[in-house]
Amino acid sequence: MILKLILKEILHRKLNFLLSLLVITAAVAFFVSFFTTADASKRETIRLTRDMGFNLRIIPNNTNMDRFWTSGFSERTMPEEYVNRFMAYKKFSYAHLTATLQKQIVWKNKRAILIGIASEMEPSGKKKSSMSFKIESGTAYIGYELAKSLALKKNQKIDILGQLFKIAKCLSETGSDDDIRIYAQLSDVQKLLNMEGEINEIKALNCLCLVDENEDPLEMLREQLALVLPDAKVIQNKTIAVARERQRQMMDKYFALIMPFIVIVFAILIGALSMMNVQERKQEIGVLRALGYGSTKIASLFLGKAIIIGLIGAAIGFIIGNGLALSFGPGIFKVTAKTIQPLYKLLVWSLAAAPLFAALSAFIPTMIAITQDPALTLRKE
Amino acid sequence: MIKLEKVGKIFKTQYIEVKALTDINLEVNKGEFVVVKGPSGCGKSTLLLTIGGMLKATTGNIIVNSNRIHKMDERQRAKFRAENIGFVFQMFHLVPYLNLVENVQLPAGTVRNKSLNKLTVIELLKRLHLTERAKHKPLEMSAGEIQRAAIARALIIQPKIILADEPTGNLDPENSVEVIKHLWEFKNDGGTVIMVTHGADADKFADRIVQLRNGTISK
Repeated sequence: MILKLILKEILHRKLNFLLSLLVITAAVAFFVSFFTTADASKRETIRLTRDMGFNLRIIPNNTNMDRFWTSGFSERTMPEEYVNRFMAYKKFSYAHLTATLQKQIVWKNKRAILIGIASEMEPSGKKKSSMSFKIESGTAYIGYELAKSLALKKNQKIDILGQLFKIAKCLSETGSDDDIRIYAQLSDVQKLLNMEGEINEIKALNCLCLVDENEDPLEMLREQLALVLPDAKVIQNKTIAVARERQRQMMDKYFALIMPFIVIVFAILIGALSMMNVQERKQEIGVLRALGYGSTKIASLFLGKAIIIGLIGAAIGFIIGNGLALSFGPGIFKVTAKTIQPLYKLLVWSLAAAPLFAALSAFIPTMIAITQDPALTLRKE
Repeated sequence: MIKLEKVGKIFKTQYIEVKALTDINLEVNKGEFVVVKGPSGCGKSTLLLTIGGMLKATTGNIIVNSNRIHKMDERQRAKFRAENIGFVFQMFHLVPYLNLVENVQLPAGTVRNKSLNKLTVIELLKRLHLTERAKHKPLEMSAGEIQRAAIARALIIQPKIILADEPTGNLDPENSVEVIKHLWEFKNDGGTVIMVTHGADADKFADRIVQLRNGTISK
C-alpha cells in the first residue's frame, strides 16, 4: 500500500518529482563527471611528472659531488646487487626502479656518454609502462647530436669499444646531454667497460606521500636508506618531486573545498523540495493519521519517495556524468585521453549514496510531517 | 460504550492558553446516534477528535469499549483508530491522486483484514450509489459523491464508531439528507455515531442532541 501511494503521488505531483529528480541527477552527474575527470587528471599528472624524469638518484656514498654535478653521473661504482637489496626493503615508496652504469668515452673522435640501462623493476609488482628505454642486447640507441654529426642511421652496424652493435633507434633532439649519449643494455655496457656486476646509479620515481608539512621526506628517506645501503647516498630532484606532490595536494584540497559546498547546496535543494511536498500534503497526512496510519508509515511515504528519486537519479546521473566526462575529458587531458573510461565502481557508489543522500536531505521535512498535529490541520478546515 | 469523565483540553502556545474543553462528562451507548451542536469555536471538533484519539485530553478519562484512550500513546491510538473508528470530515479529505476505489481501500493499509477485498469495496459503493464513479478521482466527482465516498472509506473497516465532523457542511440539502441517512443506516446496523453539526438536518435522526457552549456541555 505504501509503495502504491508513493508511486501514485509521484505521478500526481510530477513537477515536484521531476524537480527533485533533476537535483539528484545533477548532483550525481556532477560527482561522476568530477571523479571520472579527476581520475583522468590524476593519471595525467602522474604521466606528466613521470615524463619529467626520475626524481630519485641513489649513487655511491664516496662520490665526489663536484664532479658528479659537472659530469652528470658518479665516477664511483657500487654493486649491482644493491638494486635487489633496495627492492627487498618495503618501506620506501617509489616506482620505475632502474640500475645504470655510465661512463664518458671518446667515440669516433667525439666525446660521448655510454650508458647501460637495466630493465625497470616495479616493487609493487604492477605492470607499468617503462620510463626508460627497453634496449635489447646487441643493440644501441644513439643520441641526436651523435647521430647527426656522424650521419648514423637506424639498423646501421656500429663499433663501440671493439664490439659490434646495431642501431635500434636514432633519438630525437632533447636539448640536453642526452643528445650525446649512447644507450645500450646494462650487461652489454658492463662487459664493454670490464665492470661486470657494477653500477654507478639507481634511478627511481619517488613520491612524497605519507609525509606532512613538518617532516623532511628526503631526510626520512636517507635515514631509511642508510639501514639498507650504507655505502650509498640518495639525491632527490626536489623540483620534480615537489611539483608531483603539489599537484596531488592541490587536487585533494580542491576536492576537500568543493565537495562539502556542493553536498550542502544539493541537500538544501532536496530538503526544500521535500518541505514543499510536506506542506502541500498536510491534509493528506492528517487524514492518513485519522485513518490510523502511524508515524513509521507516514515517514515511509516521504523517505520511500526520496529513495526512489535517489535510485532513478543515480542511474540517470551516472549516464549523464559519464557522457560529460567522455565528451570533455579527452579535450582537457590530452596525454591520457584514451584512458578516460566510465568508472563502474561509481555506479555502485551512486546507487548506494544518492538514495541515502536524498533520504537524509528529506529527513527534516519528514520529521516535520510526522510530528505535525493532524488534528490542527483537519480542524482548520 | 463511550464514556468521558471530566475531560478537559487546553491548547497552549508560547503566549496563551486556550481552554477548548472543560470538565466534559458524556456517555454514549452502543447503537446511539448523538448529535453535538453549538456555535463556532465552542469545541465541537476538539471533542470529536479527542474521542477519536486524534487529540490527547489534557485532563480526565476517555473510555471507549473498555479502552482507556487517555492513557494510550500515539502508536496505540493510531492502532485503536484503525480498528474501531471511522472518521468523516466536512472537507471530505479524500486523497486527490487516488481513485474512488483506492480511496475507500486506504484504511486497508492500516489493518490486516482479509474482508477488505475489492468485492467488499464494490458492494459498499453500490450501497452508496457510487458504482459508476469507481475509477474516478475526487476532482472528477461532485461534493455529494465525495462525501459519500468518505463515508464508504469510514465504513470499509467495519468500525464500531463513526465520528463525523460537520459532514454536511459543504453539501446541498438533498445530499445532506442522503449522507445523514447513510450514517443512520450504520447506526441501525448496530454502530455508534457521534456527529458534530451546525444545522438542524440531523436532528430528526438523532437519538440525542448535546449542546456545547464555551467548551462545556450546556444540556
